[in-house]
Amino acid sequence: MIERAFQISPEELPEKEVWFAMGYRDSVPDQRIRDMVRDIRNELVPKATPRYIYQVVEAERLSSRQVRFAGKTFNPEGIICSYLKGMTHALLFIGTAGWEYEKAKEELKESEDIVADFIADSIGTVLAEMTVSRIEQDYDGPGTISMPYSPGYCNWDIREQHLLFSLFPEKPCGVILSESSLMMPEKSVSGFFALGETLQRQPYHCQICKNNKCYKRRNA
Amino acid sequence: MDKLYDAIFKGMAPLAKTAVLEALDNDKSPQDIIDESMIPAMEAIGQEFEAGNVFVPNLLLSARAMKSALEILKPLMMAGLTTTLGTVVIGTVKGDLHDIGKNLVASMLEGRGFKVINLGTDVSKERFIEAAKENNADIICLSALLTTTMDYMKEIVDAVRADGLDIKIMVGGAPLTQDFATSIGADGYSSNANEAVVVAKKLLS
Repeated sequence: MIERAFQISPEELPEKEVWFAMGYRDSVPDQRIRDMVRDIRNELVPKATPRYIYQVVEAERLSSRQVRFAGKTFNPEGIICSYLKGMTHALLFIGTAGWEYEKAKEELKESEDIVADFIADSIGTVLAEMTVSRIEQDYDGPGTISMPYSPGYCNWDIREQHLLFSLFPEKPCGVILSESSLMMPEKSVSGFFALGETLQRQPYHCQICKNNKCYKRRNA
Repeated sequence: MDKLYDAIFKGMAPLAKTAVLEALDNDKSPQDIIDESMIPAMEAIGQEFEAGNVFVPNLLLSARAMKSALEILKPLMMAGLTTTLGTVVIGTVKGDLHDIGKNLVASMLEGRGFKVINLGTDVSKERFIEAAKENNADIICLSALLTTTMDYMKEIVDAVRADGLDIKIMVGGAPLTQDFATSIGADGYSSNANEAVVVAKKLLS
C-alpha cells in the first residue's frame, strides 16, 4: 500500500484543463474569464494538498461482466470488462483534491460569488484527476497498464465503491464514503488500473464506447 | 436603459449598478427597469447559451450582474407593487452534497424573476414540504448528482402528492433524463440551468 501527498505550484495546474472542466471543451474563454480562472487558481492551488493511496493486487477477469480483485468479486459490467482481457493484477486507487482544498473552496464560497464558486469547483475536478495521473506515473511495474476505471462510470454501479473501500484502511487519505456512495471531500476519485503482460491498453473509454446517451460522455 | 441591458448581458456587475442608479435618476420605476432592461438582457444571454455562443460562466456573470442590480431596486419596491414570476424552493436531495449545479439553477431562476428559496444540500422530503408551505411556493426543484440519490426524488414527489400540495415539481442533475423524470411523476425536467428557467416558466404559464 503506497500513500502520497503532494503540493504543486499554480502554474503546474494547466488552465486549459480547468477550462475543459468548466465546459469549454475546444473553445477558449474570453479574457475576463481567463483572468478569473488564473486568479482563483493562484489563490487555491498553493493551499491544496492532494493525496492518493494505491495498492497492486492479484486480479482476474471472471466473465464479460465480473472481475475479482484480491479475492473479492466486483461487477464493472460489460463495457469495462471488455477492456480487461489479459489482466493479471490490478492497481486499486483512491485519490482526492484533499480537505485543504475543500476548506479553501469553502472560504471562497463565503464571498457568495457564484462564478468564483464554479471556477473553484472546476479546479477541484482537475486536482482530483491529477492524482490519478500521478498514480499512473508512479507505477513502474512490468507489463501494460490500462486506462483508469471507476465505479459510477461505464455502467459500473457506484455502490461498489463500498467494496473497493473495504480493501483500504478506514478513511483512506481522509476520504469518507457515505452510505449513498458519495466521497467526501467531494473532489475525490476511486477506481482501478488493470495490469497484465498481454493486456492491450485501449484508448480513452469514451472514444471507443458506443453509448452516446451516457451523461458522463467526454469528448476528449 | 441600453446601458443597463448591456451591463447585464455582458455580466458587468459594477456597471449594472451604476446604470440602475442612472435609470432611477431618470424617474424610471423599479418595475419598468426590471421589465424593460434587466429581464430582456437575461433572456438574451440565455438564448446565446442555448445557441452555443456563450458558456456557463457567461450565464453566471449575467446572473451576478442582475443580482447586484436587483439589490439596489429591492428596497425601493413596496410589497405588492411588484410581482415575481413565482416562488421556487430548491435543494439537493438527501444523501447528496453536490451543490454547484443546483446553485447555477437557483442563480438563473433568480436572475429571470423568480423568488428562490435555496435549501442547500442533503435535504429531506419533510424539509422540502415544510419550506414549500412556509413560502407558499409554486415550484419545488430537486437536484441529484448520484445514481444512488436520484431514487429519493420519487419519495419526495410521492410525499408532496400525498400531502395534497398544489405545486409543480421539477428535477435535474447529471444522471437524470426526461424518461426518469416522467417515471417518478415530476412535472418538469431540465438538463441545464438555462433550460430550467424555460421549463419553470412553462409550468406556471
